[in-house]
Amino acid sequence: MVEIHPDHTFIPTLRDKLNNPNHLSTWEGFKLAYEAAKINTVPNFDGLLALEHLPHVQFLDHQIEAAEKVIHQMNGRAILADEVGLGKTLEAGLILKEYMIRGVARKILILTPASLVNQWVQELNDKFYIQAASPRKKQAAWSDWDVTVTSIDMAKREAHRQEILSIPYDLIIIDEAHKLKNHNTKNYQFVQELKKTYCLLLTATPIQNKLSDLFNLVSILKPGYLGNLTEFKKKYRYEANKQGNIEHIHSLVGKMMIRNRRKDTGLDDSKRIVVNERLKFTKEEQDMYQELELLKSDHPSFTWLTLAKELCSSREACYMSLNQMRQQSNEQTMAIYSKFIEQLQQLPHHVKAKRMIELISESNEKFIVFTEYRATQFYLQWYLQQHGVSSVPFSGKFNKSKRDWMKQLFKNKAQVLIATEAGGEGINLQFCHHMINYDLPWNPMRLEQRIGRIHRFGQEHDVKIYNFAIENTIEDHIMKMLYEKIEMFKNAVGDLDHILEHIPGGSFDKQIQTILDQSESKGEIDIKLNNLVSYVEHTISERRETS
Amino acid sequence: MTSNPYFDFVQQFFTSYDCTILEKSDSHLKVQLTSSMDEEIMNRPFYWHYMKKMNRTGDPMQLTFTNTNHSNQGGIYLHAGTPKLHTIYRAAINKGKTARLYEAIEQPLQNRALCPWLVVNIHLHYRGKQSKDETLSLGLNLVHGTLLPNMMDRLREMEFEPTVSDYTFPMTPLINLENAYKRIERYVEGYVSSISADWATHSLEHLQEEKDLLESFYSSEDIGLEQFTKEQEQIDTRYRPRILMETINGGLFYISQNSNTYVINNTAAD
Repeated sequence: MVEIHPDHTFIPTLRDKLNNPNHLSTWEGFKLAYEAAKINTVPNFDGLLALEHLPHVQFLDHQIEAAEKVIHQMNGRAILADEVGLGKTLEAGLILKEYMIRGVARKILILTPASLVNQWVQELNDKFYIQAASPRKKQAAWSDWDVTVTSIDMAKREAHRQEILSIPYDLIIIDEAHKLKNHNTKNYQFVQELKKTYCLLLTATPIQNKLSDLFNLVSILKPGYLGNLTEFKKKYRYEANKQGNIEHIHSLVGKMMIRNRRKDTGLDDSKRIVVNERLKFTKEEQDMYQELELLKSDHPSFTWLTLAKELCSSREACYMSLNQMRQQSNEQTMAIYSKFIEQLQQLPHHVKAKRMIELISESNEKFIVFTEYRATQFYLQWYLQQHGVSSVPFSGKFNKSKRDWMKQLFKNKAQVLIATEAGGEGINLQFCHHMINYDLPWNPMRLEQRIGRIHRFGQEHDVKIYNFAIENTIEDHIMKMLYEKIEMFKNAVGDLDHILEHIPGGSFDKQIQTILDQSESKGEIDIKLNNLVSYVEHTISERRETS
Repeated sequence: MTSNPYFDFVQQFFTSYDCTILEKSDSHLKVQLTSSMDEEIMNRPFYWHYMKKMNRTGDPMQLTFTNTNHSNQGGIYLHAGTPKLHTIYRAAINKGKTARLYEAIEQPLQNRALCPWLVVNIHLHYRGKQSKDETLSLGLNLVHGTLLPNMMDRLREMEFEPTVSDYTFPMTPLINLENAYKRIERYVEGYVSSISADWATHSLEHLQEEKDLLESFYSSEDIGLEQFTKEQEQIDTRYRPRILMETINGGLFYISQNSNTYVINNTAAD
């Protein structure tokens, strides 16, 4: 019943060689060939050969299952979208090793943010005994190397681009793949041009804001799988109510993506304790905040929004913007800005900074402090130093060696690491289990990425997160509306990205921005935010009922 | 280096093909390649092309291999999946593809006839929803047609030479190679039908599921006829269960009467 395809080439070859005895093998050589073929045999339909070769690594069940699924069911093209900290890198490494042992992956390219290149090389070496090369500036032998780890920015440079695009890679792994959500970017186009057999996309947030993010990721793996983007969007938007259509899309996506959630994996040993700290401005600060609202009358509402948010962070952050505005102003308006700047200088130390010092000196533990502003970062570093607390700054803009160095300093010497948003990805800081979100980002997914730096696989302590917000300010709104109501802290954020995809008309970030921009009064903001949140809430509960 | 099968294999491979072992310890192995080995496994065709053009001998490279727990010494890891190892396996299979070998016999008491066998090692590639491989080693006596499984295990301890030993002579096969190979194919067919075919059933079921899904897309006009046809073919190539029979290597083995009995009764193979 099963077709057998016989080998018709062998006997003619043998005949030919028997007539040319020079090409015949010795007994030793004949035995070696047989041995080699036996080593190269994959004896079972199921399972992973790599596991018995890597007894020193303790893989978790969900990681092994993910690797098996990718290899046996998904034909090696998949989005690995486990929640932050569940070991996506290990899963990818295991799949890579398995393909290498099976002899089907030989040319491998790993694209990762520059800050993660060293970490990948080291992990492949230590955990998987895979020797990977990473190019230095000048010397890059793309076609000689079997396994290469590099950044997209490096790969797409003129000097390397053509050579890389000419190599037919057996396997390409792209870390932090959510950065490829926009199909108009150069990075996206570059990735799409790569020649590949197998391909893994790693991201903790496959859908950051819009379902089209996911569409674009899937299109890298299987062009045309979901139709074209315009059709897809149209269909999705207009027929979102037809139950069948949604299920159809979900079933399609499910065949391409693996997503383990913290709560499904039993990895909840280390708990996440979230404290929302509502702080009160001092009178002077409150007055200034109120006065800023004057700007609303003759400025775009965006200006006020920026300054208000900044004042909630630090005097310094607010000063940077005001000063810039003053320099670009005419004589009339200059007076207003100058007055504000003067007023800023009278303000006492920021209420958040004071609270931060209290928390840090009470505990003596290591802390990560996240802020949205560089000026605040400098201010906090100085302020901590005044109180005898050692700290190091961190930013995504640092180059590779500086990041590694700062991480090392934080680990061994300093008590506090002050990071700006750009530092949110890619570094693992499990040795720390306290975090202060000094400012809150608009997008809850970004907060999740921050928390993922410490609440991840390998964290041995309960993780304590403090979210700062100042009462009766824009921040307070964000916290109340978005963070508390959505209950995100209870379930981590696992469900949320599913839901954000359902918001019709634009990204989550944009939704909020639009609301704040276009509303005339605080009341209006409240109502609109409330609507947005109840939409999200409604979808969550609907989802829970159906699942 | 104990308990590293790759170490033994690599060492045997290079010594068999005349490469000199320069250094050797428990944890590492340094080899001087010959020119032809360099050409075969180092993947630098331009270099060798140039050297030959210039009529120069060229400078073959040295390779260092190391155990993974001594990684700090540098060198290629002797560990499953290392790409260089796969290159070496391929080279080994290429170089040992065909043979004509005579049993080595020292000073026989009387003239001895050597009986011809066709020895064939086969990879069976099971392909479908999932895949696996199996190796078979078969020997067919070309005079009286006896067919034995596990042939390599039976022969392993014997000595063979490319030239016929003194005072022995090879008999002419009665079964020609083409017919012999057909018998081996029939044996494989019989073998395959004797083992469980659950894998093929599962694969066919899955094939049907995929086809149904595709048809539902087509009927709801999600995809056009062109894509439908293309996908349908792809699904078929991917999931239709089949077995590819690939000959790893094979050759004529001339074996004496005494040894024939030994080979047939060798229980090491069971």
